[in-house]
Amino acid sequence: MTDQGKALETGDLDDLLAQARANPPVPNPDLLARVQADALAQQPRAPARAPAAPRSWLPEWLLALGGWPTAAGLGAVALTGVLIGFAPPDALSETLGIWLYGDSLWLDPLTAFDLTALEG
Amino acid sequence: MTDATLMARYATGEADAARQLTTRLTPRVYAHALRLLGNRAEAEDVTQEAMLRLWQVAPDWQHTGAQVSTWLYRVTANLCLDRLRRKPATALDDAPDLPDGAPGAEDRLQSRARMDALQAALMQLPDRQRQAVVLRHIEGLGNPEIGAIMGLGTRAVESLTARGKRALADILAGRKTELGYEDD
Repeated sequence: MTDQGKALETGDLDDLLAQARANPPVPNPDLLARVQADALAQQPRAPARAPAAPRSWLPEWLLALGGWPTAAGLGAVALTGVLIGFAPPDALSETLGIWLYGDSLWLDPLTAFDLTALEG
Repeated sequence: MTDATLMARYATGEADAARQLTTRLTPRVYAHALRLLGNRAEAEDVTQEAMLRLWQVAPDWQHTGAQVSTWLYRVTANLCLDRLRRKPATALDDAPDLPDGAPGAEDRLQSRARMDALQAALMQLPDRQRQAVVLRHIEGLGNPEIGAIMGLGTRAVESLTARGKRALADILAGRKTELGYEDD
């Protein structure tokens, strides 16, 4: 084989490349330290956990409706209702009576008569 | 854990992800830069710069859809080629170090001589040929990934690596004895 030398050369080259592959250059520890320092300096900060807001003892639904102003309004309305219930003003009593029962009480004399007849 | 997962963790502020990515990727970037540049100080500068760019794109990494190693090889190679264009290649001043595991002093010297000769021969190749040969025959990447790194089709990569390897063999042909291959 006339190119026996060249074929051997190719085998030698494969051997040389395999040696290079098996022995990669090792970076200097200083380089690793510099790269790591860059990594930490460039790294986005982890999102800080927001401090928990102080909890109100108002229920959530009341907070949703407006919080303290709404609670004060509701309280005033309730107190007014209780006071009117205990001591209604005269004008209110008359007005309410007419509104609830009309001008006079309606009686059914026929029904009353029937009951009397049945009792014998 | 994949590189992409570590990148996502890095972007959320996990310091441990920064450490893992550094130790995993820096040696690869440095080795590649050193093979392409043949100069340790410049390879270190390129490594730091390439890694810095990686940290800067980390928050948007998920949108790139790229493989971390492919992206890094591409950035590293571009940084190296920029330097080589600015400054013509000089004689080899720093061959890659060998780890401390060689069996004996004589073998170690022989290995060192072979690595020096290989690096010197690599530096005589055109830049793109050198990049292709290093990626294929030293980094051990497949042709599709090399194509993605170099922006070439698979056939073009095959052609480039084949020509590069032939050129390397020609450059080293007269150094068989010096490299200890005469008696193999």
